[in-house]
Amino acid sequence: MIEPLKVLIVEDEALLAMELEGLVEDAGHSVVGWATSLTEARTMVDTTAADIAFVDIHLTDGPTGVEVAEYIGQKKNAMVVFMTANPKRIPDHFAGAIGVIAKPYTMNGLTSALRYLQEGVRRPPPVSVLPSGFTLSPAFETVWASSGA
Amino acid sequence: MDWKRTREPADAWRMTDDLHAEHGKGDPFAAAIRATRMSMIITDPRQQDNPIVFANDAFLRLTGYERDEVMGKNCRFLQGPKTDKAAVDKVRAAIEDRADIAVDLLNYRKDGSSFWNALYISPVSNDKGELQFFFASQLDVSDRKSSEHRVKADKDRFEKAVQERTSELEAALEAQTTLLHEVDHRVKNNLQMISSLIIMQSRTMKDESTKQSLSTMLARIEALSTVHRRLYQSKDVSRFDVSDFARDLVSDLLTASGRSEIKSTLDLEPIVISAEKATPVALMVNELVTNALKHAFKEKPDGTRAGRIGIKMSQPDGHFNIEVSDDGVGMADASGDASFGMRLIKSLARQLRADIEWRDAGPGTKVIISMPNEPQQKGNVS
Ligand SMILES: Nc1ncnc2c1ncn2[C@@H]1O[C@H](COP(=O)(O)OP(=O)(O)OP(=O)(O)O)[C@@H](O)[C@H]1O
Ligand SMILES: [Mg+2]
Repeated sequence: MIEPLKVLIVEDEALLAMELEGLVEDAGHSVVGWATSLTEARTMVDTTAADIAFVDIHLTDGPTGVEVAEYIGQKKNAMVVFMTANPKRIPDHFAGAIGVIAKPYTMNGLTSALRYLQEGVRRPPPVSVLPSGFTLSPAFETVWASSGA
Repeated sequence: MDWKRTREPADAWRMTDDLHAEHGKGDPFAAAIRATRMSMIITDPRQQDNPIVFANDAFLRLTGYERDEVMGKNCRFLQGPKTDKAAVDKVRAAIEDRADIAVDLLNYRKDGSSFWNALYISPVSNDKGELQFFFASQLDVSDRKSSEHRVKADKDRFEKAVQERTSELEAALEAQTTLLHEVDHRVKNNLQMISSLIIMQSRTMKDESTKQSLSTMLARIEALSTVHRRLYQSKDVSRFDVSDFARDLVSDLLTASGRSEIKSTLDLEPIVISAEKATPVALMVNELVTNALKHAFKEKPDGTRAGRIGIKMSQPDGHFNIEVSDDGVGMADASGDASFGMRLIKSLARQLRADIEWRDAGPGTKVIISMPNEPQQKGNVS
């Protein structure tokens, strides 16, 4: 059994954050925090230890998701996956993130993504197939995609 | 005309001017040149700085100078501040090369006013091929030039107007695209929220059959969500790739069912349909695959419910065919048309003007859908 993941949720929509929390926990992982803005996200990154942060692009203080990812990237204490209905707003370099889960995702799409990420974080590279709706960043594409199942 | 044989021509002209042309008087050729309305001069390249050695009256009228002010001078006194240097260089080069040249030059009169001079220069050599002089004629083409300028100004104005209009339209298009993206973003978020509500509600339900209904409902909504996600991922929002969608849907439904003993066979031609057909087609495929998963595979003596689900999509001339098959129990015992799933499939088929048929595939069931599919024109946003 691979060790479960500690997840940080950065999402301005309460409903989506709640559901995501439920899905993460159903899959056997834990949620260490929920932030709705860049400021909250910074504090949370500084005070909690997460393996993965799911980051929406649009937050309560504007399209600051990319900055959140950059902040996490500097701290080097978690990996970022964007989760957005607007993947076109993600910069080409993905601000160091693993990739993006496009909204609307399916329940199974997210569960598969969690399994894939768990493998990728704990025992890289992941052996599961890349779930539909999950797009890897160019950087991770080269290290993860080629070795996948 | 016999002077030509006895004298060097340039000398003859000098004499013509200097001596008020005793000789020229009797010479109809020289008299014509002196009297013509066309401005003409002759210069002598054999003298220092190629000076004017003859100028007719038309030249003096055109430029406003007296004869003694121009004789012996180089023609450059006609140039002024706005004379095109490049055009002057061309003239100089032609003179050095002893070549003909025709060029429009902005020149200046004695009073400082300017005129457009259609200048024509040609070298004249003697029988031995030695350069004797240059012959130059000047025509005032200021009128032509100003209408040329007017035409050019009109053209510039039109071009500017077109450019302005184009950038207005581009801005309008940009605004519309932004709006489309904004609406798309909201629709996606809302679809996600609807799914979230169902998932969370389902989580609190104890009753298995209620949970079942909610999960069937979730599957239908997720089929819609997947259509929407795929539709706006592509560049052209008016076209929809059904084969890609089917691949996503089947892998999603199979893994979601958690029944790894069920295998799938996909035989999918890349097929593009119009956006308005995407949702009904997607819902229909979702119902059929869900049904196969739910009903086709009965428990075997070894406790497993293994089986195979196949999807085939093809487009023989002008048609779009979908086959969803399974190798399960078949539908001989099916209860008829009363249930919601079947009604939904049949209504969607009507909407799509599709023929749908359930066949006994022995073993299992094969559902064949066939609908007209006009060739998709690119960029046809409806
Ligand atoms: N591939 C199949 N193999 C065997 N039986 C099937 C298959 N597809 C449908 N059936 C039978 O047809 C019946 C009607 O299907 P239908 O989709 O209308 O209802 P349902 O799946 O039971 O419920 P729902 O309305 O939620 O879809 C099913 O109850 C089942 O008995
Ligand atoms: Mg059904």
